[in-house]
Amino acid sequence: MERIVARFVAALRESGIRVSPGESLDAVQALALAGMEGRRSSRQLLRLTLVKNVNDIPTFDVAFNRFFNRFQFNDPEIDISGLMDAAIVNMEGEFLNLDQLQGDDHDEPGPLLKLDSDINPEDLQELKSLTEIDPDDSDGNETVVQIKGYRGKAKAPRPTRRYTQNPLTIELNKSNSAVRDITFSPEEQAAMQDVVSRMMLRLRKDMRRMKNDQSRGKLHVIKTIQKNYRHDMVPFQVALRRKRREKPRLVVLCDVSFSVSHASRFMLLLLHTLHNQLLEVRSFIFNREVAEITEMLSNMPVNDLMETIDEGDIVDLDENSSFGQVFLSFKKKYLENLRGRPAFIILGDARNNYGEANDWVLDEIREKARYMLWLTPEERDTWSRGDCLMETYGSYCDKVEVVKTVEDLSLVVEDLLRDIYADNAHPLDKKRLREAKAAEVYDSKDYYTRGGSGEPAAFDPSGRSHW
Amino acid sequence: MITEQGVKDFLHTGGYIADDAIATAVFLALRMEKPILIEGPPGVGKTGLAKALSTALDFPLVRLQCYEGIDEGKALYDWEYGKQLLYTQLLRTQLDSYLSVSADLREAVERLSAEESLFFSKNFLVQRPILRSFLSEKRSLLLIDEIDRSDDEFEALLLECLSDFQVSIPELGVIEAKRKPLVILTSNGTRMISDALRRRCLYLYIGYPELEREVAIVRVKFPDLCETLARQMVDFLRKARELNLRKAPSVSETLDWAQVLSILKATKLTPEMVANTVGVIAKHQTDLQKVTELAVQELS
Repeated sequence: MERIVARFVAALRESGIRVSPGESLDAVQALALAGMEGRRSSRQLLRLTLVKNVNDIPTFDVAFNRFFNRFQFNDPEIDISGLMDAAIVNMEGEFLNLDQLQGDDHDEPGPLLKLDSDINPEDLQELKSLTEIDPDDSDGNETVVQIKGYRGKAKAPRPTRRYTQNPLTIELNKSNSAVRDITFSPEEQAAMQDVVSRMMLRLRKDMRRMKNDQSRGKLHVIKTIQKNYRHDMVPFQVALRRKRREKPRLVVLCDVSFSVSHASRFMLLLLHTLHNQLLEVRSFIFNREVAEITEMLSNMPVNDLMETIDEGDIVDLDENSSFGQVFLSFKKKYLENLRGRPAFIILGDARNNYGEANDWVLDEIREKARYMLWLTPEERDTWSRGDCLMETYGSYCDKVEVVKTVEDLSLVVEDLLRDIYADNAHPLDKKRLREAKAAEVYDSKDYYTRGGSGEPAAFDPSGRSHW
Repeated sequence: MITEQGVKDFLHTGGYIADDAIATAVFLALRMEKPILIEGPPGVGKTGLAKALSTALDFPLVRLQCYEGIDEGKALYDWEYGKQLLYTQLLRTQLDSYLSVSADLREAVERLSAEESLFFSKNFLVQRPILRSFLSEKRSLLLIDEIDRSDDEFEALLLECLSDFQVSIPELGVIEAKRKPLVILTSNGTRMISDALRRRCLYLYIGYPELEREVAIVRVKFPDLCETLARQMVDFLRKARELNLRKAPSVSETLDWAQVLSILKATKLTPEMVANTVGVIAKHQTDLQKVTELAVQELS
């Protein structure tokens, strides 16, 4: 039984579920305790002990059905060649059925768990050698596929692999012009939740430390006395004055014109998910005119909001986008009443449709802003082609990033938040953070895809013109 | 010797209708002395399972409600500083006479430190839920509710307690559980719980129950509600769950509604009846509308 469980665990690992040795021991113990009366109950036992995540349950069910279908040898006395034939027929048959099995998470009338008197590693070895005997056989490939699953020698699932297999790698680039489906599927929302929660996890530690540092201050005498009254005024517990804690402020300007709608969708979803989680965001959308959607983002379900935007109720979508005009009206309407020194994120392709550039407004915004980041879905080579003013606008920004996937987007935003926090941090921390950042090694796959310049872009206002 | 069917039966006497997965999980947790981590949408009876178990098994229930910022002082143990101080004050005369024998300061300090353990003994230890359940004479049921609300640090703190059933107190050493409690952790999944904690637990996902089970749950809680109405109402709620509401009605809402209907002495669901009582099942304004519309569609 141990061996069956071990092999099954290996199969699970191959399908991407992480199972620790301790958990497989649990499974064996559970099976021993509860007995293996039925397929249903065995499956339940294995699932209870081996799967520790809701999202893995469907994968488990598929793996279970696939794995325990193979052991259809009912007679332990059967001779080895017969066994082998049966196995191959079985496997081929199964290979054909594989497609049906995929989506099937119900119980099938399969056999019960069989103990390991049926088949042993030598058999498996022989099975494997079969492929070498007749490589010309047309069935060869299929057998190889099956045996690969059989071998039970899984590489440990690499975290990066899991990462890329996740639905997070939804391509922003994917054109959805054929069917303009503006709302988000539950999967997309879940994926975004996933990205954000991961991001939060990474950020949280740093944030908390900085928060603690920020809140330490001078002794609060009255509070300390109050607190230690019951200790006869012996100051066991010290109350400190809190320093003003600055919440990072973020202003997002998001282009919603058709040309970038595939990217702005995700930006909006990210904002929606981020909202109120740890920062104060004011969100604006624009096409030819600009409108604030902060309230709507926090009060409306994201899909309703997307539909409202798509119908052109907030900003008229039928006109051509004009960045120059948008900047001008943004300055008139909103720039004066932005609190603090927020960080700006502008998402758009900077295609101005040959209108007035009005780039001097950006300079004014820049003065108000702590930091300015431009996100564009276009590659660097196209930045100066046609009506694209990326080169002009870019020179006012601290950084211009190319984002193509949700993952890119979240990394960029995370990086920005880190920078903002670092900016607020205690001088001592600032130094440490800067050192930590310098020590980080960026490889070519990193998200600093700043077209060939190759320089790691640290947050440094002096470097803002040399992107 | 407990069996899975046995578990089901005694849960039934506790007023809880379990399905196979739940029964198996409880059975295994009892036999293997491992904690169960229960996840699922709110209101499907995660906490209810713990309560039912505690009454059915006659294990005293020790409940630890998690929240952001919970720490070992709130979960494991704490020293009673006030009491310690009070005692030193009250015993001042005894201490004086005890220490006056010593010749110099050094000796006095040594004498005093020899008695240090007096002040860090169990007398001054406040037992918080986890320690209390470990030290309980009877096997207890420790419910760690909504673990996802706590911080990562707290999760790490739980690891030692849950895998070895012991608590390390620096001044006293390691305290082992007298009787290993049955531990149930619940989570609403608002935060990913670390793999380290997951690994130490059996994992049980409780979703919305099947039709028959939900009807049975209603029947157990409200026996005077007639069978057809119970069925009709559960059926309606199951449809409402598919509506993509902001807060889908859960089992707890089913029970609330059943109670309302039995108070109103309803015999049949009508759109008006639903419209009058819709506040019990839908908790958002947009949801109210959708549910009322569904009622008109389905019931008239």
